Amino acid sequence: MSDANSGDGMDLEALRDGVRTVLSEQASHEKVAAFTNAEGVRDRPLWSQAAELGWLALSAPEDHGGLGLGPSELAVVYEELGRAVAPLPVLGTLLVVEALARGGDAAQQAAWTPRLAAGELAGTVSMLTPGVLAPTLTLSAGADGGVVLDGVAETLLDGAAADVLLLLAREGEALRWVLVEPAIDGVTVEKAATVDRTRHLGVARFAGLALPAGRVLAADAGEIADALLHHAALALASDARGGANAVFEITLDYLKTREQFGKPIGSFQALKHRCADHKIALVASGALVAEAVARMASRDPAAGRYALAAKALATEVYARVAQDAVQLHGGIGYTWEHPCHLYLKRAKLNEQLFGGPAAYLDRVTDLLLAAA
Amino acid sequence: MSVQTATSPTTRRFDPLACKDDLDAFRAGVRAWLEAVVPADWHARMTGASEADYVAFQRWWFAEMGKVGLATPHWPRDWGGADIGIRHQVIIFEEIARAQAPNPDMFVISLYHLPATLFGHGSKAQRDRYLAGVQERGEVWCQGFSEPGSGSDLASLRTRAERRGDVYVINGQKVWSSYGAFADYCLLLARTDPNAPKKQAGISYFVLNMKAPGVTVRPIRQATGQAEFCEIFLDNVEIPVGDLIGEENAGWAIAQSTLSAERGLIIFELSERMARTLDADLAEAKRTDADWLKDDEARRAFTRAYNDMVALRLMIRALMQEIETDPHMGSTTMPTYIKVHFSELLRRYTEFRLKLGGLAGQLRQPIVLGGGHQTGNVMHDFLLSYAWTISGGANEILKTMLAERALGLPR
Repeated sequence: MSDANSGDGMDLEALRDGVRTVLSEQASHEKVAAFTNAEGVRDRPLWSQAAELGWLALSAPEDHGGLGLGPSELAVVYEELGRAVAPLPVLGTLLVVEALARGGDAAQQAAWTPRLAAGELAGTVSMLTPGVLAPTLTLSAGADGGVVLDGVAETLLDGAAADVLLLLAREGEALRWVLVEPAIDGVTVEKAATVDRTRHLGVARFAGLALPAGRVLAADAGEIADALLHHAALALASDARGGANAVFEITLDYLKTREQFGKPIGSFQALKHRCADHKIALVASGALVAEAVARMASRDPAAGRYALAAKALATEVYARVAQDAVQLHGGIGYTWEHPCHLYLKRAKLNEQLFGGPAAYLDRVTDLLLAAA
Repeated sequence: MSVQTATSPTTRRFDPLACKDDLDAFRAGVRAWLEAVVPADWHARMTGASEADYVAFQRWWFAEMGKVGLATPHWPRDWGGADIGIRHQVIIFEEIARAQAPNPDMFVISLYHLPATLFGHGSKAQRDRYLAGVQERGEVWCQGFSEPGSGSDLASLRTRAERRGDVYVINGQKVWSSYGAFADYCLLLARTDPNAPKKQAGISYFVLNMKAPGVTVRPIRQATGQAEFCEIFLDNVEIPVGDLIGEENAGWAIAQSTLSAERGLIIFELSERMARTLDADLAEAKRTDADWLKDDEARRAFTRAYNDMVALRLMIRALMQEIETDPHMGSTTMPTYIKVHFSELLRRYTEFRLKLGGLAGQLRQPIVLGGGHQTGNVMHDFLLSYAWTISGGANEILKTMLAERALGLPR
């Protein structure tokens, strides 16, 4: 995540309260369920609300329409979006903002950042993973100093909702980040529906798409990729933290009220012990996520490793808690009407987005070995 | 072995606490002291050592720590400590782990449980007498809570204490008292009111002099082969009324303070040692290009454990901050999260090392006395991990307690 000017942060608890209050009304379980049933790609009213409240402007530089805030504030928003299982393409949008802030020239930032920060445009980026960068797109020289893009980008997070695609492509031996605006460039991003209906993947096909030179970021593509991966890891870890706590609270409430054999089922020790295990895992993984955010905010050299570790741990804990939440609810937790499955599906998708747990663990091991 | 050979006589005098206002200087001071005082060969000397040598070594080490004020730096200044805060404690534990210094195992109750009990509940006379005894005379304490019929159901304990004039007369039996054979005193729970409506309400908390007539101690051999635990038989033992801690029949609540020490501060030091071990294991694997680094399952198991270790240290730091705000850490649940998380991680990691050890790891090797959980004797380290999942409240008991008190699930 961009950490520019994050020295004067805002009151995080006030930010959290504000975001949570809005989401509890605008992204209630009923509204999220209605959106998922409608099979939409973007919840326009909710998106407008998020834009009006400035959530999309948090991390953009101040001279490009943003608030210039950093990981601490973003993590609060991501965590609250996770709590609400909100169907908003915030992550892709803020990843484009981050890439522009790090690698865009003045003209590129002026062209896109203010509109992204204002919510006029939503964005998405190539699905990076912690492994070796292996873009499926190629870039070659075009007319008038421009470039030509070929290939298929298969897994763009919330891609069909995006107005700006930031894509990693290979140009000879080099890697480049290139911007595509589907509406202007005549590109259609197809929706590949995921089981988690609060989000989706997009598929974009390019056959000799000519783009002006100004669409290519000049900065080192590998450095941008690392920054985006760390941002995505922290965002998903925060989403997981929020979602896991929310579905756990829902489950505890149920265990306290649902009666069988003449007493609340939460009085049974077999269930108590599982809940205690989940709580301890939530405290432990929450501590790691918070530390990763703090280190990213303070530009600690090891921040990247913490972010990757937090993603691996927090998404696994979320998946485990959400899985057990369905089981602890019994039949009602397995119904479409109950929110449990929204969390379970989002948890399972979180585990795989931007690389699965094994890829994260392997990268963390490599970093630990390098430092050993 | 003679204890006096532990260090060569040194003319340097160490006083790291003198520069505690400068964290870097403090760290350098602790490090220099450890480098001078920790015998390079102590692991070798304690491998398969006799019990007498081990006890002598423990007493020597505790005295050395005391000389520079680093046995009880976490105690308040009013009671002979240095009133240090979390940042200094972190440095001390990090440096102790780095130096692979001995654990003062025999003094754990003296250093943690006793003050956690007396700070909040003891009388001034008790604090003056017993805290000074630890600092000035190296008195060893043990804990007399569990009984053969009262383990997880501690409140059902049956050891009786009957008031007769100026004394309480104690009859009963205690069990699992670590280092009971060497202890000078015991933190004792006994029943003063057998007719109390709730069994918790009839328990009182005493200081028991282990040298008093009627006290018999018998060691219990553990699965590791060591005999650290003891049974304590109490036959008409007289305890002066001045050695009642707190009010009569108020012992149960006081015992919770004692146990919270076990779940927090002690694990702090152990977690620093665990962190050191994981780093050392990884460095060793890198140096030797170990096979397990090429085994996806093993490598990922290691990194999962590593991440959990990092989380553990963060939880402990959060607890230390809570303690700085509220020194008696009365209602916090964090110590319990930490105890369960630490003990399960310890089991998992010692089992991981055991698996890597293969058949060779099953060969019987001499035990490093006082070496803690990371001696490299993998089967012993693994067996010793039960000490943390069972003692101080079995994890199952703690999980039930957490579910009810922290999560609000009904009884």
